[in-house]
Amino acid sequence: MSSDPRFLSIVRAAVGQLGLVYGLTEESCRGVTLAVDEALANTIRHAYKNRYDREIELSCQAGADHLEFTLVDSGEPADSARICAKPLDEVSLSGRGTHLIKATMDEMHYEKVPRGNQLRLIKHLPAAKVTVEGESSPR
Amino acid sequence: MQRQMASSTRIEKGTTIVDVVGQIDLGNSPTLRKTLLESLKGTDRVAVNLMAVKYIDSSGIASLLEVLKEARQSKKRFVLFGLTKAVSQVLQLTRLTGVFEIRENEEQALAA
Repeated sequence: MSSDPRFLSIVRAAVGQLGLVYGLTEESCRGVTLAVDEALANTIRHAYKNRYDREIELSCQAGADHLEFTLVDSGEPADSARICAKPLDEVSLSGRGTHLIKATMDEMHYEKVPRGNQLRLIKHLPAAKVTVEGESSPR
Repeated sequence: MQRQMASSTRIEKGTTIVDVVGQIDLGNSPTLRKTLLESLKGTDRVAVNLMAVKYIDSSGIASLLEVLKEARQSKKRFVLFGLTKAVSQVLQLTRLTGVFEIRENEEQALAA
């Protein structure tokens, strides 16, 4: 996808629907959607310095018991010392995005890969069920 | 679900009410911030109606926080009302529920 924020709402709609299909509660779906959106926004703001003409690779894999979202960008690498460095307090206007990701996802991994910077976000599924057209069936 | 954000302003009982509709994210939170700061300039009380906001991210929360700070500095009142589950969830996760003045509906926002 392009690093243009206009695409964020499209990604949110897709991620939200995917979460529902894989049996996440509405609240968890909102959380996962928020996490992926915040991760993309961080990439646009920090890795690409608000340049809207770059590429972000976003993929999703469904495992037996988890959903995994992978983001790859070719911008500035994340400064691990600054991730969640600021405590959540009333004063701070920025730095809440990563806290939100950590609070809503079960795992978060930053990695440097040959193509650039990779972030993997993992959400464990509540039960091994996939909802298709309103019905549940074991996988 | 409306994917874009829109806002309109009206005055009720001396309070400027900003009705916000849609999704607040990185792309449009600067517009919301500007609208709210402008509204704050012309009145002593601003109430933000979030009943039709189905999504807000950390940049939207930061915008609300910035307006709150401005309101406090200028000794004005800044109230949020009609929070949807999505907005409440993000405020809770960012531990800001107690920071903002929050009312359930417009009537309560105007009465407080």
